[in-house]
Amino acid sequence: MSLVNYATREITCKIVYYGPGRSGKTTNLHYIYEQVPGDRKGQMVSLATQTDRTLFFDFLPLDLGTISGFSTRFQLYTVPGQVYYQATRKLVLHGADGVVFVADSQARQLAENVESMQDLHANLAEHNIDVRTMPLVLQYNKQDLPRTLISSVPELEDALNFRDVPSFAADALHGTGVFETLRGIAGIVLKRLSAGSAPAPAAAAAGGR
Amino acid sequence: MRTHVAEPWIEAPLQTFVDEAHALFALLLHPNGQVMGQFGFTRAVDVMAACALAAAIHASAGELGKELDGKPFREMYHAGRDRQIFIGDVPTTQQQFVFLTVFDSESSLGLVRIYFQELCELLEDAQPPVMKQAPISSTSLEHDLNRNLAILFGRAPRATDGGESSLSLS
Repeated sequence: MSLVNYATREITCKIVYYGPGRSGKTTNLHYIYEQVPGDRKGQMVSLATQTDRTLFFDFLPLDLGTISGFSTRFQLYTVPGQVYYQATRKLVLHGADGVVFVADSQARQLAENVESMQDLHANLAEHNIDVRTMPLVLQYNKQDLPRTLISSVPELEDALNFRDVPSFAADALHGTGVFETLRGIAGIVLKRLSAGSAPAPAAAAAGGR
Repeated sequence: MRTHVAEPWIEAPLQTFVDEAHALFALLLHPNGQVMGQFGFTRAVDVMAACALAAAIHASAGELGKELDGKPFREMYHAGRDRQIFIGDVPTTQQQFVFLTVFDSESSLGLVRIYFQELCELLEDAQPPVMKQAPISSTSLEHDLNRNLAILFGRAPRATDGGESSLSLS
């Protein structure tokens, strides 16, 4: 649920990085965190296990500056990918304005990608959100791996992209495609706001300076 | 220090709570982690992080309560060595909020609970009808977004940065 304050001209949006375990969701946020200047980001919060697997979520607040006259902030979340954290994923998805589905391009992970996409649909449905209306982009991560190990982009498109949403090949570890993915989802979310179709009450951001 | 609020009707109830309960920090947020009002923070990005964690505590404790007791926990309290934290549901007739406050020996749990109850009542009385959100002007939206993200990522804006999807690795 985007929060828009017309008095102070501020927008805050929530973006959730979703996908199977070890697909690279946290890696996306780490890369963004490393790229963005200190005065435009908050601390990256990671609720992780001792082996650095995401336990609850990762969180990165970003200040995007002024867009269409509004001071715009994005809250980037990841969900834990492992199957048994289903309840946690549902909680993190609450109030999301957009979803980045990070798929693992390794051929042996194709079934996990499909299962995670179905899990996303089920969790959106539990929040009474039609998956066809939720802003969504796909990222096919690990496309830098040898061709013999990965599914091709057309294969991944065929398996996952039934809505024909924007999709991006990526190597999140080295940053390829991370920027484009964030730009893709941010554009869709903000355009949806400009079209007045965001499911939100009149509300606002109340941050500090 | 004054409170910062998303909507004017929140300011008086929140300021009253902060003044009366001698709180060090106070956050009013949606259960999804979006901030509605705050006191004690200086940077917006820090407020967002605090709200994300507060929403997570509230959501996970709620689910834990359902597992253990069949219904979510409505309030939580933790006493640290120097500072104490209180989290509670603010169920108004139109929207549900979560409230978090941090206080020290200048206050007490009893005092916080009294003024938290008053805060709930003041918010209930002050809230206006939920209004449909007006659309944001799309003028310069894509240009501004591309330019600002390019700056954030240390990239010079390019004429070809038009937001098209890309399926090839550079």
